[in-house]
Amino acid sequence: MTTTITNNGNQIIAAFAGRLDTAAAVQTAEDIKPLLEVSGKEIILDCTELEYISSSGLRIFLTVRKDAAAHGCKVIVRNINADIRQVFVMTGFVSLFEIQ
Amino acid sequence: MDLHTEMILAEYDAKLPLVERLQKVVKSTLTDAIDRNGLVVTAVKTRLKTRDSLEGKLALKGSKYHSLSDITDILGARVITFYTDDVDRIAAMAEKLFDIDWENSVDKRRLHDTDSFGYNSLHYICRLPKSVIDDPELNDIRFELQLRTTLQHAWASINHDIGYKTGVEIPREYLRQINRLAGILEMADDEFSRIRTEITDYRRRVHQLVQNGQLSEVQLDGDTFSSYLKARPFDSLNRRIAAINQAEIQEVPLTNYLGVFKAFGCNTLGDIDQLKKRYAEDAYTLARHQLGNTDLDIISSSVGIQNICIVCILAQGGGKIGLIRLFNALNGENEQNSLLADLTYEQAKNLPFMSK
Repeated sequence: MTTTITNNGNQIIAAFAGRLDTAAAVQTAEDIKPLLEVSGKEIILDCTELEYISSSGLRIFLTVRKDAAAHGCKVIVRNINADIRQVFVMTGFVSLFEIQ
Repeated sequence: MDLHTEMILAEYDAKLPLVERLQKVVKSTLTDAIDRNGLVVTAVKTRLKTRDSLEGKLALKGSKYHSLSDITDILGARVITFYTDDVDRIAAMAEKLFDIDWENSVDKRRLHDTDSFGYNSLHYICRLPKSVIDDPELNDIRFELQLRTTLQHAWASINHDIGYKTGVEIPREYLRQINRLAGILEMADDEFSRIRTEITDYRRRVHQLVQNGQLSEVQLDGDTFSSYLKARPFDSLNRRIAAINQAEIQEVPLTNYLGVFKAFGCNTLGDIDQLKKRYAEDAYTLARHQLGNTDLDIISSSVGIQNICIVCILAQGGGKIGLIRLFNALNGENEQNSLLADLTYEQAKNLPFMSK
């Protein structure tokens, strides 16, 4: 599981690749810390290469969302696959994020 | 400049640091008390009279003042409220907070004759009591506190700009026009207060009806839907769904479902409650079917209401198109919503409510 963060003007993009399961969550939580410090930007959670997300992964996304709201940032979840889309619907997380 | 003016200005220079300290204490005392009393105001401002302004005042009516302490507006504080009733609330608060010099305080709102309009403001001349700060030097200085509404403030500011700033005397007909506007703003102030009181009464009545379960008597709108949600009508369904995987429930706002229920044809809170009663069991069945074979142990508090809406659409034959409309209403129009609808339809298609 890898997380790559890039700044792109008014956007900050976190690209996830691999399986965001309980084992990967600790490192990912560490990797996304730069997202928690930004303000006034759009945060893109790019899931093009993300294969799977567990509850631990959802909690990480939730942390980003809460922090972003406090800092006036918008969070967009981009390019989720069918399995992750299913998780978002089942848990009601679909109404927490803008999904593109 | 005469000797008398020079003496008062010298006193001003000497006492300025002390008055600056008073300014800070007065501002924080007012701001804290306003917050503590749950009042919302447009602004709390303080200003120190400048040396030039004081010199101008002394040039005009210097003989009236023996010393600096006779001038009560070296420090001026102003609270600007939204509503006229709040002026009285802040006044009551100030009376408890400060020692008021009643002899020199004036309620200009009551000075007008029945047929005149103009500057409306409540002016208190105050001192800081020892209960606020025990400092004899600060306790001794008087300051002016002005209380007025936003509209009174707007009128007074424009009147000052037109009438005084230019230094040119304004013809009587224009002064009359300015004062006519004061009358209109006074009416507007009273109307805003009346509307606020009526809205508060309306909310209280709605809250009472919701509390008593008389939901069919409450028309559905943003305000009443919020009252309904405060009673947490979907908690019990959410708890049942959470129990499937011993999940934690993440609180999220549900107000965006108002448009969905309106699109379903709900006109009263009772209509929503009927839908809830009718589809709660099927909404749970859908959740159990979806979550039962996963280890997802976190859900959002929107899952219950979301599943009720999904079931309502599918049970009434709304199909995938209906689901796309639902996701469009909740998430904004987006091509992902079509995929979400496909997926949800596939998950639900063999459940009992589909054949009802």
